[in-house]
Amino acid sequence: MKRKFDHSAPAGLSTGPKYWRSLDELADTPGFREHLAREFPEGASSMEGVDRRQFMKLMAASFALGGLGLAGCRRPEAHILPYGKSVEYTVPGLPLYFATAMPLRKSAIPLLAETHQGRPTKLEGNPSYLPHGGASSLLAQASVLDLYDPERATAHTKKGDTLSATQVNDLLAGINKAYAGSGEGLAFLADESASPTRARLIAKLKAQFPKAIWAEYEPVQDEPPVAAAQAAFGRNVKPLYRFAQAKRILSLDADFFHAESGSLYYAREFAKGRRVTKPTDPMNRLYVAESGFSLTGSMADHRLRLASNHILALAAAIGAHVLETRNFDPLAQGLDVNPKWVEECAKDLLAHRGESLVVAGAHQPVAVHCLAYAMNAKLGNVGKTVDFVEVAPSGASTIAALATAIKAGSVKTLLVLNGNPAYNAPADLDFGALLKSVPDVIRFGYYRDETSALAGTHLAATHFLESWGDARTVDGTIVPVQPMIMPLFNGLMEVELLARLAGEAKPEAYEQVFATRGGDKKAFEKFLHDGLVAGSAYPAVNVAFDLQRVGAAFAKTPAFVALSKDNLEVRFTTDHKMDDGRFANNGWLQECPDPMTKISWDNAILVSPRLAAELNIVPAGSAIQVARKEEAEFVQGKENARVFELTLNGRALRGPVHIQPGLSNYTIVVPLGYGRTQSGHIGTGAGFDAYVIRASDGLGFATGAKLTDTGKRMMLANTQEHWSMEGRDIVREANLEGEQGYAVNPKFVRENTIDSHSPPVLGKDADKDLAFIATTTPRGNSLYETPNFDGIHQWGMSIDLNTCIGCNACVVACQAENNIPIVGKEQVMRGREMHWIRLDRYYSDGKVDARAMADLLSKEPSGNRDLPEDPQVSMQPMTCQHCELAPCETVCPVNATVHDEEGINVMAYNRCIGTRYCANNCPYKVRRFNFFDFNKRATDALYMGPLGHQSEMPELVKMVKNPDVTVRMRGVMEKCTYCVQRVQQGKIAQKRKAGASGNVEIPDGTVRTACQQVCPAEAIVFGNIKDPASEVSRLKAQDRDYAVLGYLNIRPRTTYLGKLRNPNPHMPDYSALPLSRVEYNNKNHPAHGDDHGSAHAVKQGGHE
Amino acid sequence: MSKIFPKSANALPLQIIIFLGILGGVAAAGITYYATPAYLRVGYQPVQPVPFDHSLHAGQLGMDCRYCHSSVEKSGTSSVPAAQTCMNCHSIIKTQSPLLEVVRQSYATGEPVPWVKIHQTPDYVYFNHSVHVARGVSCVECHGKVNEMAVVSHDQPHSMSWCLDCHRNPAERIRDPKDVFNLDSQTLAAQGKLADAQKFVHDWKVKPPQSCSGCHR
Repeated sequence: MKRKFDHSAPAGLSTGPKYWRSLDELADTPGFREHLAREFPEGASSMEGVDRRQFMKLMAASFALGGLGLAGCRRPEAHILPYGKSVEYTVPGLPLYFATAMPLRKSAIPLLAETHQGRPTKLEGNPSYLPHGGASSLLAQASVLDLYDPERATAHTKKGDTLSATQVNDLLAGINKAYAGSGEGLAFLADESASPTRARLIAKLKAQFPKAIWAEYEPVQDEPPVAAAQAAFGRNVKPLYRFAQAKRILSLDADFFHAESGSLYYAREFAKGRRVTKPTDPMNRLYVAESGFSLTGSMADHRLRLASNHILALAAAIGAHVLETRNFDPLAQGLDVNPKWVEECAKDLLAHRGESLVVAGAHQPVAVHCLAYAMNAKLGNVGKTVDFVEVAPSGASTIAALATAIKAGSVKTLLVLNGNPAYNAPADLDFGALLKSVPDVIRFGYYRDETSALAGTHLAATHFLESWGDARTVDGTIVPVQPMIMPLFNGLMEVELLARLAGEAKPEAYEQVFATRGGDKKAFEKFLHDGLVAGSAYPAVNVAFDLQRVGAAFAKTPAFVALSKDNLEVRFTTDHKMDDGRFANNGWLQECPDPMTKISWDNAILVSPRLAAELNIVPAGSAIQVARKEEAEFVQGKENARVFELTLNGRALRGPVHIQPGLSNYTIVVPLGYGRTQSGHIGTGAGFDAYVIRASDGLGFATGAKLTDTGKRMMLANTQEHWSMEGRDIVREANLEGEQGYAVNPKFVRENTIDSHSPPVLGKDADKDLAFIATTTPRGNSLYETPNFDGIHQWGMSIDLNTCIGCNACVVACQAENNIPIVGKEQVMRGREMHWIRLDRYYSDGKVDARAMADLLSKEPSGNRDLPEDPQVSMQPMTCQHCELAPCETVCPVNATVHDEEGINVMAYNRCIGTRYCANNCPYKVRRFNFFDFNKRATDALYMGPLGHQSEMPELVKMVKNPDVTVRMRGVMEKCTYCVQRVQQGKIAQKRKAGASGNVEIPDGTVRTACQQVCPAEAIVFGNIKDPASEVSRLKAQDRDYAVLGYLNIRPRTTYLGKLRNPNPHMPDYSALPLSRVEYNNKNHPAHGDDHGSAHAVKQGGHE
Repeated sequence: MSKIFPKSANALPLQIIIFLGILGGVAAAGITYYATPAYLRVGYQPVQPVPFDHSLHAGQLGMDCRYCHSSVEKSGTSSVPAAQTCMNCHSIIKTQSPLLEVVRQSYATGEPVPWVKIHQTPDYVYFNHSVHVARGVSCVECHGKVNEMAVVSHDQPHSMSWCLDCHRNPAERIRDPKDVFNLDSQTLAAQGKLADAQKFVHDWKVKPPQSCSGCHR
């Protein structure tokens, strides 16, 4: 339970502006500009810019300094600084956990915040909230870094003058007084929120100022339009999907793993329906029709590339079968899809009444949602796989209405609460100009951004980790937002701002939230302790679908547009990392590669391979599969992209083009959230701004676009240029059913793979149990002296490729837990990103074959010469595999990487001398090297050696570091440690408990790695493989368990569960084998004759 | 040969000898200074801001270590007490002592007392007090007889090899758990009960880590 601590902010922090001043000063120096211009010239390991003579001088000087300093090295005096008065619950060295929540639009993610002596460092999902079960999202993981952003707004200002807290209070009270009575001339523009307290205060404001305008605007829509529910059911309801119950799922352009509200819950539930433990287990089947290539699409068993504009026609066509009506036929006019696809998909849904589900994307027009609701109703899914819950009507005005009022000159004072309309309002409103025309604009925001620049007054907002508040999750459960730390820069909480405007007697945010919860102290403390109000979820309501009433919704449907190279469709997507642009200054997110394109630090105009060919921009090296000899557009993480101009209805933008397999042919995808002009060092200038071409009539997608080449080029940082497995069995897949499916051949991950060709790795012990093998089995006659695995536990990990959705949450969770630095775009382009875990994304289209290598030099080489247009995607989280016979260990000259007795491949940083031999010898390429003092320098500054001008990482940013993990320095190798700090803490806690007894074995599940804890799909499981009852042992005992590159006899402790696909044999795009498997067969067991494309149907097992 | 070596090279042998001599001297001095256990601060006895006398409090008055170092059984750090802990008694006795002015100030203002750190582990070492005291390792093993020190000094070398000496052979240093906080007690081995100690090590599964991950994370 969180008490209000009555302690002042730490002394070092009250002078907050210091930190950003130091950055500012840096930005002003001419040296900084110079650094920017020539930062890390080609080949950073060679010396440029410093000539040899100067280098010798510098080195001599530093040696001399070292000599002088020797005496000082001996006994640096350090201090222990205890509290003056002890702080409740705080034990030095132990973290405290408090329940809070991260609000995002109309939902929230319940969290547990780990605080070290009042300093939040890491967020985890709140396990008390069962729908998420302790998981959290990429954005939630990264949000803690925003708290310590030195470039956040650090003071309240009015026309450049700093306002004190009292002045701000007077200002707000002044507004309350000035507009008392009618409120005419007062307007608000706020972001969406699910806070009950905010809703209560808005109601009060509306009562006090009946003529004031309260408008809400969110640039991206993540919930189905209310109008659709109104039309279909006549009630203000929203759907809540129960994916775990759904056996057949049809997604109509819905990316429910990422872009839809509740995606975390949906991903988790979907994984439940996807998980199999034995061949007879059922598994869901996912049909996806989409224009872009989303994570949801990557999990699809049948994926249809279809322009967003055409989705309505498809919905109508499928609807015609499901609803058995011909009413919708006119809507399906022009649809160019194999009728068999439509027919069989509908048949499959009909065969699973009550356990199927149709989901429409939030950006789709009302008619699509109505059709989806109609199908769900007809299929009997309502109440089974989809519940409808009643939500309060928002009652807020729209940004368009507000714009009209401003134009009419009736707005005198405008309060912009959060959001960033100057940057992301629809382009046709020209909201920036409108803001300038309002006499008094007061902006309340976390950053001093584009909107703040146009506002006379800026009020600095608090981070959610500094605020009192409340929110509702997607299912309506009420959760608290409680502060972990005093506002670092005396920011104002949103609740308090509204309360002061409403003239509340007790405007403090705590008091307001307390009042909303009924004012019962005991209940409130329980609320804060549990992090939720049990049973407060929206109740499901009975809804009746009325086909007659729905008619009106179809009256104004957008017209079907035939697309071509000269009439393209643009699809605006919520970015995986920036969201709508609000996270632009978050370095963890900027550096995290996009899950599909693998581009970091930028967005790109995504075009399909077909369109690229028609625009004649297929790069010579894009087709690198086996043929790597050509001049590649990719060089070591750099993508040499062409810059195109994208014109849409008279508005234009310029951006780099990235060819993305799997897009609908004439749809181009532009992720929103980039191209910020007023952000910080990190956000400003990253990517291009797609809002400039986005108008009110096409917020999700629009047609009529055109691409023209500017002839320019731009370098993108891309972390995975190689997109094919080249017919190797890195990710092993099978169909669930069918002649070679998992049900028939449960051991598909071993038979007919490279493992069956390699010498036996475990010899006669192959059938022994896991614990025996891990501890006893000789290590394959290796010459290297192997460690004794005689520890009490033997650690291992299992990753289920069948449920992993590739969301990247693990990447940032690991970064937050393990103090992994940000390296910057320049360094990523050199392949020096530091992520300990990465998501490998492979495309396969079944066309790799054995001839590719043979006729490489011929004029028209065969093989995979084209970028696949319609590939299957396989995702694979890749991190240190903790090989029992680790190749990295044999080459380390200083024993810096060795095994411990519990099977963890450990790195002793203080021993490492940075030869990088280990990284060279690692077959998985998971070791990361600190080329610079990334933790010492600011991300945009070059480390200039001990005598160079040091731009230290601001003190504020250091506060996010996990005190339980070493911060590594330059010249040190690092990699995944299985979160050894958590393992050790778990062991220590158990030993402490054991005391004078032998009960030192940790119970299964008490130690969880950061990636495991965050995973929404529960795909990662870590534990003791010596204990046969542990979760990880049971997973590893499954037939689908295999080791990547296991034939090298390195015996990795991390193994994978093979991926399954569940295609429908009646569908026209059915493939008897997953396409990666077809490629493997084509390459390794080529059929005779020219029939290379076909599946190699002969079972090849039994090579042992 | 003159075509290869210029005349100035004649001085080279002598230069090399002198250089090697200096290098050797520096190396010898460096090794003596840094690589011998004495470097590791044994005997370090800084002047503390408050002349707290352990021999008085823990020795004569017989206060338990844990009264002040309260988190030693819970946390990695044993924790130096907050000024509040001192004031529990010193608001009653010696209330006007000038020596305690710093403590009173700290209690009043919240500004910490700047105790000088004596036992300092490097940043990359994660030592945990709680697990040691829970498993029969007494304070005295690492800190010496603090109850007899008027001014605390660094008693043991705290080098990595010193840590490993015990981690490799815990039976020699283990105590009966009830003696852990009794600084005048003896290890089981010293009491001639080595067999008991070995039995404890076996029965309690005392397996002190000897690999890197035990302390370096």
